[in-house]
Amino acid sequence: MANWIPHWMQRLSSPPTFYRFAGVLRPWCMALSLILLIIGLYGGLVMAPPDYQQGDAFRIIYIHVPSAWMSLFIYGVMAVSGFIAVIWRIKLAESVAMQSAPIGAAFTFITLVTGSLWGYPTWGTWWTWDARLTSELVLLFLYLGVIGLYHAFEDRRQGARAAAFLVLVGVVNLPIVHYSVQWWHTLHQGTTVRLFGKSSIEADMLWPLLVMTLSTKLYWVASLCGRVRTDMLSLESGKHWVRDLAMEDEA
Amino acid sequence: MKPGSVSAAAAAVLRRDLVLAWRSRGDMAMPVLYALIVATLFPFALGPDSALLARIAGGVVLVTVLLSMLLALDALFRPDLEDGSLEQLMLAPQPLALMLSMKILAHWLTTALPLIVIAPLLASMLHLPGHAIAVLVLALVVATPLLSLLGSVLVALTAGTRRSGMLLALMLLPLCVPVVIFAAGAVSAAQANLPWVAPIAWLGAALALILVLAPLACAAALRIAVDA
Repeated sequence: MANWIPHWMQRLSSPPTFYRFAGVLRPWCMALSLILLIIGLYGGLVMAPPDYQQGDAFRIIYIHVPSAWMSLFIYGVMAVSGFIAVIWRIKLAESVAMQSAPIGAAFTFITLVTGSLWGYPTWGTWWTWDARLTSELVLLFLYLGVIGLYHAFEDRRQGARAAAFLVLVGVVNLPIVHYSVQWWHTLHQGTTVRLFGKSSIEADMLWPLLVMTLSTKLYWVASLCGRVRTDMLSLESGKHWVRDLAMEDEA
Repeated sequence: MKPGSVSAAAAAVLRRDLVLAWRSRGDMAMPVLYALIVATLFPFALGPDSALLARIAGGVVLVTVLLSMLLALDALFRPDLEDGSLEQLMLAPQPLALMLSMKILAHWLTTALPLIVIAPLLASMLHLPGHAIAVLVLALVVATPLLSLLGSVLVALTAGTRRSGMLLALMLLPLCVPVVIFAAGAVSAAQANLPWVAPIAWLGAALALILVLAPLACAAALRIAVDA
C-alpha cells in the first residue's frame, strides 16, 4: 500500500497544519450536525409511531441512546489518543485526549439526566442502583477525575500526560458499562440495536436514532476541532505561526 | 545478600520505610483513630437499633477502612518527594517497580494492617455476628492490598501536583467500586448463611493480576508525574 496515509497523519499532527485543517472542517461538521439533528428530531418526535407499551415516553431514547453511545465512544477515543500521548508524546494526541474529556463528561451527564427523566414515568423511580446506571455514574466520575488531574498540574503538557495515563487505567470500566446489561439482569433493558445482525427495533423507530447518532458524532468532531484549535494557540503562543496569525488579523 | 544487589536494595528500602514509620508511631495511629471515630458516628446517626446496625455493619466497616486508607495514601510518596530521596530511587540502577512495591508493602504493613486488626472490634461494636466477622477480616486481608496497589498508581500520578487530597479521592473512589461490591457481597452472603467464597475468589484473582501490573504502572506514572 502506498505510504501516503502515515505521511498525511504525520503532517496533520503538526499544530499549524492541524489548526488550518480543523478550521476548514469545523463549520462543515457543525452545519451537517445541525441539519441531521433537525431531521433526526423531527423523525423521532413526530414521524416515528408511539411505542405500544410506553406510548410517547419512549421518544427520549432519541437523546438518551446517542448520548450514551457518545459517552463510551469518546472515552474510547481518549484512551487511544492517550495511549499515543503517553508513548510518543505527540502534542496533538495530548490535546485531543484532554479536550475530549469535557465533551464526554457532558454527554455522560445528559445520558444520566435523560435516563432518570425517562425512568420516573416508566420505572416509577428517578434513580435505582442498577448495574448500568451505576457504571455510567462511575464513568462520569472518571471523566471528572481526568479533568481534575489535568488542571492540577502547573505544566499543561505534563498534566495532559498524567491524565492520559489515568484514562488508560480507567479503561477497565468501558466493558463493564457496555456488558453490564448482559452480565447482570437488572432493571435496565438489554441491547436492541445491533451493528451486526438484526436489531429488535422497528425500522420506523430505528432510522431517526441512527441519524441522531451521526449528528452527535459530527457535533463532537466540530466541538473538538474548536477546542483543540484554541488549545493549540495557547500551547504554541510563543511560536512563529501563531504570531503570523495574530499579525494577519491585525493587518 | 551482596550489597548493591537487587534483593539487598529491596530489603534496604523496606527496612528504611518500616523504621521511619516506627519512629513516628503517632502518625501510624491516626488512620486507626479516624476509623474508630467514623464507625462510632453511625450508631449516633442511625439510632442504637441493633438489628439495623447488624445489617449495615459489614458495609460500614468496609467503607470506613477504605476512607482511612485514602487519608493515609497521600503520605505514600510525599515525604520522599519533598526530601528528594524519591528522585534518588528513580535514578538508582535497581528496577523502580520493585523498589516501589517494597514501599507499597511497607505502607500496607503500617496503615492497612492496624486497620485489619481493629476491624473485628468495629464490627462487633455494630453487632455483626461472629462468623460474618471472620469473613469480613478475610475480605479485608484480600481487599486492602488491592486498594493500596490501586491507590499507589494514582498517588504517583498526583505526586507532581500541589493540591492532591480531594483530587485523589475523586480519582480513587470510582475505581474502588468493584472492590467494595465484592468485599461487601462476601460479608452479606456470610450473614445470610450463603456460600461466600466466590466474591473472595474474585478479589483474589484481581489481587493476583494487580500485584503484577500495579508496581509497573506506578513506576511509569511516577516517571510521568515527576520528570518535568
